[in-house]
Amino acid sequence: MSYIKKRPFLLFLLPGFLIYTLFVVYPIVAAASISFFRWNGIGPKTFVGLDNYIELFTSSELMSQFSNALLNSLKIFVLTVLIVIPVQIVSAYLIHNEVKGYKFFRAAVFSPQFISTPVVVFIFTLLLDANVGLFNKVLEWVGLGEYVRPWLGIPEYGIYIVWLMVSWSGMGVGMIFFLGAMKMISKESLEAGYLEGAGFWRRLFSIILPQIKVTILNMVLISYIVSMTIFDFSFILGGVSGGIDHNVDVMALMFYRIAFGESNNPLGGNISENAMGLGSTVACVLFLLIFFISMFQIWLTYRRREEGA
Amino acid sequence: MNATEKRKSASAAAVLLWIYSCFTVFVLGYLLYNSFREKGDLLTNTLGKPKSLSFRAYVDLFAEQKFHLYFLNSLLILAATLLIVVALSSMVAYALGRYKFKFKNALQAYFLLGLMFPASLGVLPLFLLMKDLHLLNSYASVILVLSAGISMPVLLLTDFFAKMPGEIYESAVLDGASEWKTFYRIMFPLASPVVFSICIVMSVQIWNQFFMPLIFLQSDEKKTVPLIVMKYTSNLMLSMDKAMAASVVATLPILILFMIFSEKILDGVASGAVKG
Repeated sequence: MSYIKKRPFLLFLLPGFLIYTLFVVYPIVAAASISFFRWNGIGPKTFVGLDNYIELFTSSELMSQFSNALLNSLKIFVLTVLIVIPVQIVSAYLIHNEVKGYKFFRAAVFSPQFISTPVVVFIFTLLLDANVGLFNKVLEWVGLGEYVRPWLGIPEYGIYIVWLMVSWSGMGVGMIFFLGAMKMISKESLEAGYLEGAGFWRRLFSIILPQIKVTILNMVLISYIVSMTIFDFSFILGGVSGGIDHNVDVMALMFYRIAFGESNNPLGGNISENAMGLGSTVACVLFLLIFFISMFQIWLTYRRREEGA
Repeated sequence: MNATEKRKSASAAAVLLWIYSCFTVFVLGYLLYNSFREKGDLLTNTLGKPKSLSFRAYVDLFAEQKFHLYFLNSLLILAATLLIVVALSSMVAYALGRYKFKFKNALQAYFLLGLMFPASLGVLPLFLLMKDLHLLNSYASVILVLSAGISMPVLLLTDFFAKMPGEIYESAVLDGASEWKTFYRIMFPLASPVVFSICIVMSVQIWNQFFMPLIFLQSDEKKTVPLIVMKYTSNLMLSMDKAMAASVVATLPILILFMIFSEKILDGVASGAVKG
């Protein structure tokens, strides 16, 4: 007892430590260990070494699913970095400069964040559906009837529509992040820019951007993690199989499909005899994909900080 | 470019932002308006003049479909998770921020791991764990998994407690308060603005959480609002009107709360960003 009396922090730490370890850290470790076994979660569990990894990367069926899902996830990531992040920065900059109606912008751009994914997908169905979709009606109305398409039914467009939905619902968070970073910049450096006669855009590029570099890097990393682990949109839009020919499949959905089978019910359906083993293998590959990029990013940030100091 | 041209390009960007914001507002209004229309009217006469406007879909939703029960499910999970997250994370953060001890930095890094690894990837072992604990298909499974995600709140609160001036602790100790009393009578109330913004940010995540309830809650009567909305939206021919009404009911309360607290919420998110 006196040991704890001298160290009162132990009692404060204990509950959080236990719950966090059991439900956050343990599953990561356990997934790594299960990936070395052939197992369906109920039956016998046999150690197979790296066989699951070998199977994932040599079986042509699995490999084609994997590369397709990875490519789709990467497409979302690249489009986000090239389009969404710049838009977020510019809108944050406009709001930072308190352009007319900035409070309205801030609330309007942020509000889709509060809409749950099934509703977001539903809203986009209302807009893009072949029969009841608003977009087609608008096209007809403005005389562009020849461009009318069943937007949600064309496999090639699928992943871009997923990206649109992700971007619309996530636009505000990044914007607020950048806005927060811009607010941290000292008034003096901005005023110095003013006095030198730097214009609106000039100030953004030469004063603001260099100072929010770390936030930009963080947002790139967050976008990467999100695109690797995004699940809801593809699942709701395309079901477990990820749409026609896996057209909206992403990494996390492929993981779900292998782990819980093709049926919509996680418990039932045609789970393969190696569902747990192979599912964990996919999860671990995803872990590694995230881990190495995160490490690289942290290294990049620290290197910059040292240079700056 | 001269000065006026520059101003013009700035206002061009502002106009685009206007259009984008109006699009969002329009889409939400469109959803609300359509929720008052009949199913047949919606499907065959999408943009035409509505035949009639009524609350029928809402009446169906609550009377027939017992939507309020799913709402209560979501609310229960939200309340329990928030309570546990706040309790666990403020205690851990207090220990990390207030005391000095061996391995403190390592422990701090340990609690940050969760930021890098999304819980959804550990779901297979979690599923087996819940099976062993006989918690599958119970609210407790979802609540436990979601409450364990304390990395972000710990990060924010540790920073807060570490920056508190030492005199506050010392005067409490001089008054003879125990460690525990100092924490929950004095320190925790002082942290309430930070706790408030954490609650706001986490509420949204928990309320809209899709993955964990999908995995852990199998029976229909335990499902949460997002899962039930998906049930209606996945078959529009059958339940287009209910899909509209359910979407509105799932979205409107949370948006109204956002409008009321928007300043605080946005500040909370922004402060999270600066640390992250």
